Amino acid sequence: MQDCHKSQKIAICMVGLPARGKTYISRKLHRYLNWLGYNCKVFNIGNYRREICGTECDKTFFDSKNEQATKARNECAQMALNDLISYLNGDGEIAIFDGTNTTKQRRNMVQCSLSQQCQNVQTLWIESICDDAEVIQNNIRLTKLNNPDYVSMNPEDATKDFLGRIRMYEEVYQKIELDENLSFIKLINIGEDIQIHKVKGYLLSKIISYLMNLHIYPRPIYLTRHGGSTFNQENRVGGDCDLSQQGIQYSEQLGKFLLDEFPTQEQRNQIHCLTSTMKRATHTADIVCNILKISYLQLKTLDEINVGICDGLTYTQIAIQFPEDFAQRKVNKLTYRYPRGESYLDLISRIEPIIYEIERSREPVLVIGHQAILRCLYAYFHRNEISEVPQLEIPIHAIIKLTPAAYYCEEIRIKIDPETGERKQIEEDLQIERVNLLTKKKSYILL
Amino acid sequence: MQQYKKTQYKLILVLVGLPARGKTHISYKLNRYLNWIGYKSEIFSIKGAQQNDAQLDQNIDYELEIDPGNQQFAEVRQHLSSTAAQQLVTFLQSDGDIALYNGLTSTKADRQKLKSFFKETLKLEYQTFWIESICDDPQVILNNINESKLSRFKDKTIEQFMNHINVLAQHYESLENTENLSYIKLINIGKLVKVHMLEGYLCSKIVSFLLNLHANNRQIYLVRSCQTEYHLLDKIGGDPELSAAGKQNSQQLGDYFIEELKGNKNITLFTSQMKRGIQTAEIVGEKLGIKALKTKNLDEIDYGICDGLTVKEIAAKYPKQIKERKANPLEFKYPRGESFLDVIHRVEPIIYEIERSRDPVLIIAHVAVLKCLYAYYHCNQISEIPNIDIPINCVIKLVPIPYHCLESRVNIK
Repeated sequence: MQDCHKSQKIAICMVGLPARGKTYISRKLHRYLNWLGYNCKVFNIGNYRREICGTECDKTFFDSKNEQATKARNECAQMALNDLISYLNGDGEIAIFDGTNTTKQRRNMVQCSLSQQCQNVQTLWIESICDDAEVIQNNIRLTKLNNPDYVSMNPEDATKDFLGRIRMYEEVYQKIELDENLSFIKLINIGEDIQIHKVKGYLLSKIISYLMNLHIYPRPIYLTRHGGSTFNQENRVGGDCDLSQQGIQYSEQLGKFLLDEFPTQEQRNQIHCLTSTMKRATHTADIVCNILKISYLQLKTLDEINVGICDGLTYTQIAIQFPEDFAQRKVNKLTYRYPRGESYLDLISRIEPIIYEIERSREPVLVIGHQAILRCLYAYFHRNEISEVPQLEIPIHAIIKLTPAAYYCEEIRIKIDPETGERKQIEEDLQIERVNLLTKKKSYILL
Repeated sequence: MQQYKKTQYKLILVLVGLPARGKTHISYKLNRYLNWIGYKSEIFSIKGAQQNDAQLDQNIDYELEIDPGNQQFAEVRQHLSSTAAQQLVTFLQSDGDIALYNGLTSTKADRQKLKSFFKETLKLEYQTFWIESICDDPQVILNNINESKLSRFKDKTIEQFMNHINVLAQHYESLENTENLSYIKLINIGKLVKVHMLEGYLCSKIVSFLLNLHANNRQIYLVRSCQTEYHLLDKIGGDPELSAAGKQNSQQLGDYFIEELKGNKNITLFTSQMKRGIQTAEIVGEKLGIKALKTKNLDEIDYGICDGLTVKEIAAKYPKQIKERKANPLEFKYPRGESFLDVIHRVEPIIYEIERSRDPVLIIAHVAVLKCLYAYYHCNQISEIPNIDIPINCVIKLVPIPYHCLESRVNIK
């Protein structure tokens, strides 16, 4: 429903002590909303502070009694907020304000600025509360120690300083209360408890549903195309044909590969296997799940892209019979819709429930799908731009293992020879390195 | 859901709350929704158990009334509550998927007792989710009483009701985290919502559904797109444009809505991405001064290989399929196309949209899709879907109110 509901701008503001997963949530939300087609941007107060005050701030900088530092920090927050407001007043649709926002005063200031200076904006506050010491320690280890603030310190000193910083914030922390009259969602101990207040509207409801499914358990997602089919051999599109002999062999080798990945039956029983309703995928799933002794779920939403009137034709035949369409598709593969069929954009909105399903799952997920569908799924988890989707490479007879981690996504690709079962790790897709303009240091693309 | 593996575990939804908090309303809506998306779901309540017991006086409401001194009354109530729980277990042990329980759950002791009862008697894997409705807005409580209770008790006044509730409230204990139960608390019809220990796909879905509920009785209009060339040729499917008569009918449709909506611009107009839907919606939308929202979810059912053929041609070319469809019209899937079950799945986000909306909603779509939408509000069984009548040039107006749905139809000519 991308063309619906774009009337109101949305500002999402994070609240919480350091190391509570605010940036993690901001980035996940940013990924999801961009994916749905919204112009979305994250404004991280920490980045502004590093740019203006430098990266050598130790915990005393965050002491609320340190007047000069407090003034500087407020200025940084104000700058970030100003940029956010300009963004929303321009062509931005959703902006995420990633900061601690731990006092009522600060929240009130932000809320007032937004309602006064932005036309027609809805605000949602997301508070992340966590009192599990182990989780916090883990968060610090995974995300803070690589932070530009601590690049020159050893891990022990860095952790000590960071815990000190958290204590500074704790002294003035005021949790969101009902009398502040804000629309909010509180996530307590990674979703063990959730409180939702005054949330109305299509997009906010969607965001809430998404947030309720988030977790931080690292579980692998395996993506593979069905084994080669008879149509693949003939270079035809569409159809509902069965596997070729090679395809059957691949399925068996795939099953054996997964037996090695999950050595015990108990581990295998936890695998969540999803496939489409088309013969070639179901047949592959049958063979694989027989070997693993597990069951699988058939979902029509995983069916291959519907190629409408071009169903069953080869690319050459399409070029001859429908020359105009063939040319149009070359120009814009993303938006081109096969007559009586679908476009990649249609696919992207079609697979949304699958994305929820995979996000929600805390166990390994195995998706046996088709090329176009897997391009979309891969792009979502690997954080590619939507424009890149139609060109992504999802080779046949290979399995891609994605492990989403804190701020990035690990990937391993393994090509499995159908006849010999030989496994070869193929070139890992390069983590795209972009220069982070604010810190002038290289960092992995945000997740 | 035919294609979805049935949940490996059964689900029990237990309702908690004082009277006039909307428990019955929530249970009806949930039950309807769960049945619609393909689960076998049923409600088990004190009221239900009472109706099945011929020996009891059906004029007394054992669910609502309380007479502190009357020991026998309390015993009957207890007995009915246990009977309902027993019937629930029997239901789940056979082919039921989801059971909703509306019995004695107002104190911690009651809840622990229920929890133990299920643990001892259910011999399969199950999950329990507790739904509590809390209300401290007197106006809302008053509205609830007016709408739902007075129809059941004509000889009682509102004051007597409030008295009953106040007595019950003295012993009422709200859900607490220490009870170690997975729950959702809806406070003042979802203004504030608290969720604790949410687990599982189905519970997530149920929570999303509950977040969208509200008490506004707003109208929902279902209309088919107008006449096309295909209608005249008796062809099905395709993506034809409106015929001349179709365009005229759209104009008349627009005029009808101008009068019906009396200048209310706060209505949402949905249509499909098919030419006939878009054209009809654009003509109507222009008259009303609103823009139509187009979504592929409202596209007509995919007729697969039968697309674009006339009814006669299909009978001649695919006699086997016609037979299959006659035998099981609900689950029949057109080869390379869809079945009604696929359409229900596809149309689900629209239902969420309609539920969420507090303003009138107007949907211009196509026969099969509208049958599925209509069934959500009206039918108790989805097997009735293929037989629903959705005539062309007819506006179906649905107004969901507590416990059922008002309907009126107007022919436009």
